[in-house]
Amino acid sequence: MSLGKIKPTDLAILGGPVAFSAPLPVGQLNFPEWQRFEEAMRGIFARRDYTDHGPLAQQFEAKLAEFLHVKHVVCVANATIGLMAAAVALGLRGKVILPAFTFIASAQSLTWAGISPVFCDVDPHTHQMDPAQAALLMNKDISAIMGVHLWGNPCFPDEFRELARDHNVPLYFDAAHAFGCTAGSKPVGNFGELEVFSFHATKILNAAEGGCVCTNDDGLAERLRTIACIDSTERIDIPLAGNGRMSEAQAALGLLSLEDYPKVQQRNRDYHEAYRRVLGGFPGLRIQSPPSGEMSNYQYVVMEISADEFGLDRDTLWSILHAENVISRRYFSPGIHRSYYYRDNYPEFVNSLPVTDRLCESVMQLPSGQDMDLEKISRVCELIWFVHRNAKALKPIARRPIR
Amino acid sequence: MRRIGGPLRFASFSNQAGVWLWRDWTKDNIPVKKSLSDLAVFGGTPSFTEIRSAASLSPPDAEAFFDYAKRSFDSRRLTNNGPLVQLLERRLAELHQARFCVAFCGGSWGLVLAMSCLATRGGGEIVMPSLTYRHLADIAAWAGLTPRFCEVSRETLASSVADVEDCMNERTAFILVAHPSVHLADIGGLTALATRRHVPLLFDSVEAAYASYHGSTIGSFGNAECFSMHASQLLNGFEAGYLTTNDETLASRLRKMRGFGFFGQENVEELGLNAKLNEIHAAMALVSLDDIHNRVRRNRERYHAYQEVLGPVSGIRLVPYEEAEKRAFKTILVELTDAWPLRRSQTLEIMHAENMPALPYCSPPLHLRKTGYRTARGALPVTEFISGRYVTLPNGDLLSHSDVEIVGQVLHFLQNHGASIAPRLEGR
Repeated sequence: MSLGKIKPTDLAILGGPVAFSAPLPVGQLNFPEWQRFEEAMRGIFARRDYTDHGPLAQQFEAKLAEFLHVKHVVCVANATIGLMAAAVALGLRGKVILPAFTFIASAQSLTWAGISPVFCDVDPHTHQMDPAQAALLMNKDISAIMGVHLWGNPCFPDEFRELARDHNVPLYFDAAHAFGCTAGSKPVGNFGELEVFSFHATKILNAAEGGCVCTNDDGLAERLRTIACIDSTERIDIPLAGNGRMSEAQAALGLLSLEDYPKVQQRNRDYHEAYRRVLGGFPGLRIQSPPSGEMSNYQYVVMEISADEFGLDRDTLWSILHAENVISRRYFSPGIHRSYYYRDNYPEFVNSLPVTDRLCESVMQLPSGQDMDLEKISRVCELIWFVHRNAKALKPIARRPIR
Repeated sequence: MRRIGGPLRFASFSNQAGVWLWRDWTKDNIPVKKSLSDLAVFGGTPSFTEIRSAASLSPPDAEAFFDYAKRSFDSRRLTNNGPLVQLLERRLAELHQARFCVAFCGGSWGLVLAMSCLATRGGGEIVMPSLTYRHLADIAAWAGLTPRFCEVSRETLASSVADVEDCMNERTAFILVAHPSVHLADIGGLTALATRRHVPLLFDSVEAAYASYHGSTIGSFGNAECFSMHASQLLNGFEAGYLTTNDETLASRLRKMRGFGFFGQENVEELGLNAKLNEIHAAMALVSLDDIHNRVRRNRERYHAYQEVLGPVSGIRLVPYEEAEKRAFKTILVELTDAWPLRRSQTLEIMHAENMPALPYCSPPLHLRKTGYRTARGALPVTEFISGRYVTLPNGDLLSHSDVEIVGQVLHFLQNHGASIAPRLEGR
């Protein structure tokens, strides 16, 4: 179906008809078929085990461990609580190095654990935290390095392993984006001391809310289970605990989602390729792709916009797309270092991350997931091409305040 | 809980309606312990074939659950303050006669966030009881606060006004009152104290859900009250919790903080974390809420059954509910008095062997637990006394009235034969 827009005033932002009758979300929102969900829930009701590391949570952990080729999987209520438990389990103190170009929960997990963030700039091409920059930030107060596998792509695991080893501090990863991805053909989940995945509904693996912590360290796994109140036997001493249990309902959803992973991954890959094939040829647009030879979940379609070449800046394009019901997202804008709490409490980082600042103004995500199809993607691309062709006429929109 | 059938030859007294009657247990097909070797701890057959965890409650009305959950699928919303969470919050606010309710993925994280909002004065100390939920001090530590443990009274199991005031100083940021099982704390007196000393007052009302105080429903006292909807609680939301408050600013802040501090899609306005309740858990909680009055009725009936079967058992004092007020009758709490012939640990060991999930009450108390954070306290002899002598007995929808009678029968047997049991246990 053609977009049906001929002149700039046909755009919804200028009073024209909206291109999509229903909003197109960025998140995956991979719901199982209703009958499968109903069957799983009836099983829970029959067993009368609702939480407290029930049979489905145990089964989910076992299947995840097999899928990720990792020794221990500890399922948790959500990834943020997983990261908070990880900070306690690793015995972190003082300061931890992490990027500011990530979701704010990465830093919040440290703050709640009483640890100060040290924000590190990122590589302009991969968007991953830059090991060379991190090396400059190392000092005696740094108790760990938290890498983030942004967009599911590997965050220089070899380089950070060496850096952490050289300074004798633990390395761990926020792998919220990276379920099913590999680095050097090795599954994410096996790097550093531990890695934390997210199973939020917008992620490829959906447990409504949820997440897991992976580790190959027996002692760390036991500490994590005790800290997150999953193991209530109190066999070991821990500094403090906080309820991070995954319920049986979450585990049921997660198991169904894991069954669906191969076909959902293929769908995401098809969508990603469809976007990349078209938009990659547009002036000023670049779609982030996984490194050659690596597995990816392709759950994010990340587009970087060069305003000079495209003709309009990211925020203007974002506004135009939103008006057409294309609910693209400006992840991450602003960066954590310029967000509430962190800009006031750690002002030394506000003007110290130039690459992060540039990416925060030029990156956006396009809709993907279960609510999309190839025809919608084609129309989104057509819309972006239409905006590019009419960029000059649309310049005045750029001066409007952004919603 | 499954029961093993079999012949019964046992008799005891019942005090139903305050009248002492001879009761012939043989009419009820209740298994009975006739000799010490019948006790499972000594190799006999357990009274129940399987032990069910406290979380294994009766199944919800499945069709009602699916009606709610279908809305989540139809609207393609599984989390992020979805319509079921909003409906649940409206209905809970109504139940508690509070202006606002904010739901969380767990009551603990709601408390952490509320504590960090309320701790705006003093030196970061919170006055709280030691005789309470085992992770309550951890919750304070997550909020960056130092627990100062105060004493409780023998009569109410709760901290009195004097107990709390004894622990207050210039470092006190606020008072955390944790209602004990069965009884309520002195809400009026503690509210007056907080007002007089100009400190916020937060209630952990997990154990007081559904209760009333001088006719007013729990949920609108102090600056806020916190409740749990863990599967073992009165309301089962798998894992869930909520806070009620009449403070609009606090409610608004908590709503942002539970979702990373976001206001809208991109603006972060608070230091938050992920404490969001998902829609499937909200659906479960709504079904449970629909059935709450029936559940309380069944709890009350079981409590009365316990009154009946424990009446003749000397050495065990059932802690009585104040039935003139609204109560959930969720916990069956007993004190093992000086007349009880066994140590508590022995009693629990025997009951566990019988597949009866009896638990020590608030033991060890928080001040005797090893932690990685600083705490403060004075001597707490009453707390230690209570935590060493009280037991919560099996309860919940999986326990039939005849199951209650079996529990009573076993306790009666222990009371009669305790003098022989204790040395045999110690001699193993």
